[in-house]
Amino acid sequence: MSGRSGAITDEEINELVSKLQSLLPESRRRRSAGRVSASKLLKETCSYIKGLHREVEDLSDRLSDLMATMDSNSPQAEIIRSLLRP
Amino acid sequence: MQAAKSFVQAFLKQMLLGIQLSAVSHRSGSLQERKSAIKLSADVAMAVARGSKKWTRGLIASLSKEEQNRSFRQFVLGKDFGRPAKLCHSSWKIPRSKNIVRRSLRFLSKRKSNIRAPNSSVLAGTLVEKRTQVLKRLVPGGESMDGFSLLDETLDYVTCLQAQVDVMQKLMTTLEASKHRADSNAQCPKAKLHLLAMVGSCYSTRKGLWKRLSKRPKLIL
Repeated sequence: MSGRSGAITDEEINELVSKLQSLLPESRRRRSAGRVSASKLLKETCSYIKGLHREVEDLSDRLSDLMATMDSNSPQAEIIRSLLRP
Repeated sequence: MQAAKSFVQAFLKQMLLGIQLSAVSHRSGSLQERKSAIKLSADVAMAVARGSKKWTRGLIASLSKEEQNRSFRQFVLGKDFGRPAKLCHSSWKIPRSKNIVRRSLRFLSKRKSNIRAPNSSVLAGTLVEKRTQVLKRLVPGGESMDGFSLLDETLDYVTCLQAQVDVMQKLMTTLEASKHRADSNAQCPKAKLHLLAMVGSCYSTRKGLWKRLSKRPKLIL
């Protein structure tokens, strides 16, 4: 997408912005198709990313708790093996 | 916009391999070590599965630099940092990522001498500028991106993060469910079916399932 040396058109920017908007949870709930301000979009994007980071941290925590009791005979280990088989 | 199926598959497999590896090498480690290892597996898997993007290079570079990940860095860079530990599983091979790491380390040192890219007129304005700075810190490798690249990489990064969370949630649900069921393999909870679909397995017949289970596991764990 950024591989050519031409000017970036407004259309491309708008497309990017609307794609980004559609990813954000709050934007999806909002029915209005109107444009949001750049600063609002950035703010929501930043808080969304922070939220996702926290979720990954939390899930890592919980997964490591599960793994703590895992040995080669446990059902968890078997599930992991079964998922790795081609 | 959803992550590609190929990404999800690759991510799941890479993460599971990393989890197996860390489960063995951190068996006697502290809770914090185990948790960091899992998170590391998830992040590396996400970057490797996505391939070459600015944010993936930035992510691998920053992961390699963290002190706590020294053993991981030693492993990934292989011969440059001494032989990896014997218990490394042979299929935890991320040949591509060796190059990604090397390029990332070069990219990181270049970045230091790089004056920050000029802001494009797309993102002018003080509040916007401030929030752009925040975003740049959140997206790996973001500091040296200009406005348009930043938006483009952010879009990609968020899509992958969503998939990362989704897969980890399903994995956790599946593993948790197995703790409570005596015969976890007779029933397939929904989350497990999703995971299996992700790796493209066909667990359609129970006969096939029992046959697989009776084989001796060849992997470390």
